[in-house]
Amino acid sequence: MPSAAGQAGTAVTAVSHAPRHAGDALPAVGHFVRATTTPARLRLLLIGLVSLCLIWGAVAAWVVSQRASGASDVASTSETLSLDGQQIYRALSDADATAASAFLTAGLSGSLEPINGPLRYQGDIAEAAAHLESATAAAGHSAAAADLATLSADLPVYTGEMQTARADNRLGLPLGAAYLQEASTLMRGTLLPAARNISAEANVRLAGASGRATGLPLALVLLVAAVIVGFALYRAQRWLFRRTHRRLNPGLVVASVAGLVSLLWLGIALGMARADLLQARTHGSTPVAALAQADIAALQARADESLTLIDAQGDDTFQQDFVGVQRRLGPGPGTLLTDAVVAARGSPATGPARVAAATATTWYGVHRTVRSLDDNGKHRQAILLVTGRGPGHAGTLFTRLDGSLTSAILADQAVFHRHAVAGRNAFIGLEVGVIVLALIMAVGCARGLITRLAEYQ
Amino acid sequence: MLLVAAATAWALPGSAVVAARQYLPGPAAAPAIPPCDRAHSSLRPTGPPRVTPGSFMEQIRDHHRLIAGVSQSTYPFGFFNPRNGNTEGFDIDIVHAIAKAIFGNRNQVEFKAIPDDRRIPEVWSGGVDIVAHTMTINCLRLEKVDFSTVYFQAGAQVLVLKNSRVKRLKDLRGKKVCSTSGSDSLSYIKAAHAIAVPVVNFTDCLVKLQQGDVAAISTDDNILAGLAAQDPWTKIVGRVFTSEPYGLAISKMHPEFVRFVNAVLQQMRTDGQWTADYRRWVGTPAPAPPRARYKD
Repeated sequence: MPSAAGQAGTAVTAVSHAPRHAGDALPAVGHFVRATTTPARLRLLLIGLVSLCLIWGAVAAWVVSQRASGASDVASTSETLSLDGQQIYRALSDADATAASAFLTAGLSGSLEPINGPLRYQGDIAEAAAHLESATAAAGHSAAAADLATLSADLPVYTGEMQTARADNRLGLPLGAAYLQEASTLMRGTLLPAARNISAEANVRLAGASGRATGLPLALVLLVAAVIVGFALYRAQRWLFRRTHRRLNPGLVVASVAGLVSLLWLGIALGMARADLLQARTHGSTPVAALAQADIAALQARADESLTLIDAQGDDTFQQDFVGVQRRLGPGPGTLLTDAVVAARGSPATGPARVAAATATTWYGVHRTVRSLDDNGKHRQAILLVTGRGPGHAGTLFTRLDGSLTSAILADQAVFHRHAVAGRNAFIGLEVGVIVLALIMAVGCARGLITRLAEYQ
Repeated sequence: MLLVAAATAWALPGSAVVAARQYLPGPAAAPAIPPCDRAHSSLRPTGPPRVTPGSFMEQIRDHHRLIAGVSQSTYPFGFFNPRNGNTEGFDIDIVHAIAKAIFGNRNQVEFKAIPDDRRIPEVWSGGVDIVAHTMTINCLRLEKVDFSTVYFQAGAQVLVLKNSRVKRLKDLRGKKVCSTSGSDSLSYIKAAHAIAVPVVNFTDCLVKLQQGDVAAISTDDNILAGLAAQDPWTKIVGRVFTSEPYGLAISKMHPEFVRFVNAVLQQMRTDGQWTADYRRWVGTPAPAPPRARYKD
C-alpha cells in the first residue's frame, strides 16, 4: 500500500513540476508518458488525482475497518469470554467449598447437611454450566476451546463423584469422604485450572484486540496517505492557477473540502475511540483482571481452609497450599491484592479493593486461630470458626473479602463496558463515510480537470 | 481368558512359596528385618492401671488430654462418622478405655488423624502419645517403637468385585492391586507379581475398585470386611495368607506407659469390655480375646 501511494506521489510531483521545465524533456516520467503539451499534462493530472483519491479512500476505509473490528472485539467477544471464565471459576470453586463445608458441619448442626447446602451447590453447578455454554459459543476456535472441552467433559464426572459422596454420607459410610476427596482433586487439578486458562486466554485476546484498535502504526499509514493526497491537491491547484490564471477551480475545491472533512472525521473518531479504549483498559480491563486474579486466589485459599479440616489423614497439603496462596494474595508488595489496589487507583473499584485488602489481613489472623485450635485437638471449635457466620468468624470475613472483590470487579467491569462501547460507537458510519467522501473527491477532481481540458478542444 | 489361566498355572509354584514365606519369622521373611519373637514382645504390667508420680501417664494427665494417632477412614476400626461428626471404631474404643484409666473420663482424648506412613514418625516426634491404627506388630517396627500386647488378630486377604473370577492373590499376577502406602500389604502384593497401587486411605482403594481402576484390594481381613460392608457388590476371596497381630504403638522412651496400657488391655479382656467392643464393631460371635504374652 505505501509503495502504491509513493508511486502515485512521484508521478504527481513530476507532473506538477512539468510547467517550470516546460522545454526540458522530463527524463524518466516525461519520456515515458510524453506529456509535453498542456492538454496532455492535464490528462495525466486527471488520471493521477482521481486514482490518488480512490487509493486514499481505500486506505482510509481499510484502516477504519481494522480499528473498528478491534474495537468491536474488545467490546463483545473478549469481554464475554473473560467474564465467563471467571464466573465458571467462581461457581465451581464455591460448589467445591460448599460440598466440603456440608461434610464438615455434619452432625454439628443436628442435620446431615446445612439446610441451604444442596441448593447452593446445585445453583453453583447450574451457573457454571450456563457460563460454560455461553463461553463455548463465544470462544469459537480460539485457544480457549480446548479448556472449554475439558470442562464440558469433566464437569459431569465431578458431579457424579459428588453425588456418590453424598449418597454414601447419607448411609453413614466413611467411603463418602473418599469420594469427596476424589471429586475435589479432580476439581482442583483439572477443572479449576481450565477455568483459569479461559480467563487468561481471553485477556490475551483482549490485549490483541485492544492493540489493533488503538495501535499507532495504522494511524501513521493514514497520516502519510493524507499528507500525500493533500500535497498533490495543493500542487495541482497551484499549477492550474499559474497556468490558467483562474483563482479557483470549483471541482478541485470540492475535492479539497471533502478531503478535509474526511480527515477531520477520521481524526476525531480515531482519537475519541483511542481515548475511550485506553480508558477502558486502564480503568477497566486491567484492574478487572488484577481483581479477578485476587478473587480466584482468595477462593482457592478458602477452599484450602475447609479441606484442611476434612482431610481425614491429617497430612498438611492443604495448609501448605493455603500458606502459598496467602503469600501470593497479600496484601504486601508484589502481591495480587496490592497489585489490584494499585491497578484500581482512580476507578470506582478503589474503595472495595482497599476493603478487600484489609479484610484479607484480618482473615489470616482468624485462620491462624483456626489452625491452632485444630492442632490442639479442638476440632469442633475450629470447624465452627471456619464455617460460622457471626462477627469475627472466618466465614464472615471471607464473604466480605469475596464480596468486596466482586463488587470491585463489577464496578470496573461497568467502566470497561461503558468505554469499550463508546470506543466502538465512535466508528459508526465512518467506513462508509470515508468511502463516499473519497468518491466525492475523485468526482470533484475529474469534473474540475475535464472542464479545463474542454477549453483546449 | 486362556492366557490368564496359563499364566496362573505357571505362576502357581513360585507364588505359593512367596506366600508361605510371609508366615515364617526370622531370616526368610526379609533380610533387612532382624529376627525377633513378635508374639512375646511386650512388657508385663505391674498390677492394675495406676498413674504413678513422675510417670508419662502423669505428664499426660497434666496436659488434660491423651493424644492418639488414629485413622479416620478405616471402617470399623477408626473412622469419621458423617452422621454425627465423631471419630468411632474398635481402635477408638480402646483409646477411650485408656483415657478413662488416666482421667476417669473416656472423652479426654484428642484424635489425630494420621496416614499409615506417619505412624512411626508421629510416635518418634512425640506428636502423639499412642498410635491406635490397625498396626501390625512386626520385627522391623519393634526395632523402632514399643508395642502393647496383641489386642486384635488379623490376616491378609483379597477383596474383589462380586463378578470377578479372582479366587486368591496369585490370580492377580500382572493386575493392579490397591493398598495403602506405608502398609506391609504392598510387599506381598509385589511378591505375588501384581502391580501395587498405593493410596492414602483404604476408602481410596474402594473408590478405585468401584471405578474399575484396580482389579482387587489386598490388606487385613477385618479392614476388607469394613470395605465390603460399604459396598455390597464386593466379596472377600481366598484364605487368610498372613498373620497380622495388632498392637498399640508407644515410644520406647515410656516403658511405664506400655505396662500401663497392657494393664488396661488385660482389664478389658477379663471384664468383658473387649468382647462387647468386638461385638459392637466387628460382629458376632466374638472369639476369645488374643492372649497377652510378655517378654519375661
